[in-house]
Amino acid sequence: MDFFRQTLVIARKDLRAELRTKEAINASLAFSLVILVLFSFAFDPLEEQTREMAGGLLWIVFAFAGTLVLNRSFAREIPNDCLDALVAAPISGAELFMGKALANFVLVISVELVSLPVFGIFYNVHWTSQIWSLLLVLALGTWGLTVIGTIFSALTVNIRLRELMAPLLVYPMLIPALMSAMQLTMQLIAGKPLGGENEVWLRLLVAFDVIFTALSLVLLETVLVG
Amino acid sequence: MREKLIYGLGAIAAVLLARDLYSIFMQLPDEASQGMIYRIIFFHVPAAITAMIGAGVTLFTSVAYLLTKNLKYDAISVAVTEVGLAFLAANLVTGSIWGRIIWGIWWTWDARLTSALVCWLLYAGYLMLRRAIEEPTARARIAAVFNIFAFVDVPIVIFSIKWWRTQHPQPVFWGGGSIDPAMYLTAVLNLVALVLLGIVLSLIRLRQEEVQREIDSLRRYAHAV
Amino acid sequence: MDTRNFTFMFYGFLAAWLILVVYVLSLVSRERKITEQLKGLKGLLDDKDHK
Repeated sequence: MDFFRQTLVIARKDLRAELRTKEAINASLAFSLVILVLFSFAFDPLEEQTREMAGGLLWIVFAFAGTLVLNRSFAREIPNDCLDALVAAPISGAELFMGKALANFVLVISVELVSLPVFGIFYNVHWTSQIWSLLLVLALGTWGLTVIGTIFSALTVNIRLRELMAPLLVYPMLIPALMSAMQLTMQLIAGKPLGGENEVWLRLLVAFDVIFTALSLVLLETVLVG
Repeated sequence: MREKLIYGLGAIAAVLLARDLYSIFMQLPDEASQGMIYRIIFFHVPAAITAMIGAGVTLFTSVAYLLTKNLKYDAISVAVTEVGLAFLAANLVTGSIWGRIIWGIWWTWDARLTSALVCWLLYAGYLMLRRAIEEPTARARIAAVFNIFAFVDVPIVIFSIKWWRTQHPQPVFWGGGSIDPAMYLTAVLNLVALVLLGIVLSLIRLRQEEVQREIDSLRRYAHAV
Repeated sequence: MDTRNFTFMFYGFLAAWLILVVYVLSLVSRERKITEQLKGLKGLLDDKDHK
């Protein structure tokens, strides 16, 4: 129970800090909308083909917009020695990680939930046919994105060229999760339910989430402290 | 002692490679459906296996570093990763050339090829990450953690052809595949040769890494006095 | 048809070995650079000792 209490303390702190200024979430939302617009120039939204692959495009938007929020996660703690304070605080690495990951998850998924209807409008896509499965995939994919983004934010917090290195390392790592999410989203938007052929992607996504969450919980302390 | 090991293993590898090249070009017949181009498999597959073995070794040494804080494990990690990356690149390129003949295309985005390319990108990222950190213990620690994360892709690469329907051929050497015994022998010997070659290159690179560290410490000493 | 395949197979083998050769060459050049550095540093330290 202590674990959850500590985790929520961290999560609430992060959310409160972010919601006061709303810098990251506004930037992320704006970025997401801009990319959606830009993609509509690259791919004609009225074409049948575009609508079929639109699910894939959606996850690229989420990945890029999400990274804006996630990279700041630990970078934000550097001024005023906040990172040292967090490390010195009587919470374990696992609790710190979970708290930050939860806060990030809430932020990223809010951006996504706002982008989704806009996406539906711009690309003329009915995304409500398998709404609950779609929300499940959204949650699982976003959790994968969040976990990797958070742990890599910690990994790169003290290195040169942090803004450059973090995305460079995060995107290849995310590919299994993004591919699964894209495949599942494309199928769900087309109206096919989960199961059957989709199962392998769903299993990969869940396995990805479980494995990387476990690894991150164990390794965050090593990353920050040594 | 290590010098002798390097020369010895190198000699064995050279002999095996010579024997195999003779076998591949002079003795083995053309394959039923592929003709001549199948011979590339004798380098394509062993290179992949060598790279995957390298990945496994670096996983071990990364965990070992985090547990013992002994920098020699970090040196082994970087040496083996570099060599593994070279073998994986050879694997991707030979596969691409084979694909051009058999499928008519240089590349496709099926599960096996995509995950193999991602694997290459991840370990290349590992080397880039190391360059971004100057302080040796921090570099070793961060790199070790990243290496553990990167290794998660390796099982995906290996089992991708079992888990998904891929354009890449089904396993020939394991998992229900079959191959003519004469070809099998040459393939196995080539695998041994490439692994030995990998070990030799890693030992050379490891020695260079150690000399580099000695230079760094000497430089610090020289500036201190 | 077979000649074309043969050419490709040759390129295939060549490519695999070329990559490894390039890596070996990079090792060799690195070796040269660090032995030079080592010599330079040792010379520097010897000078400082003698002074």
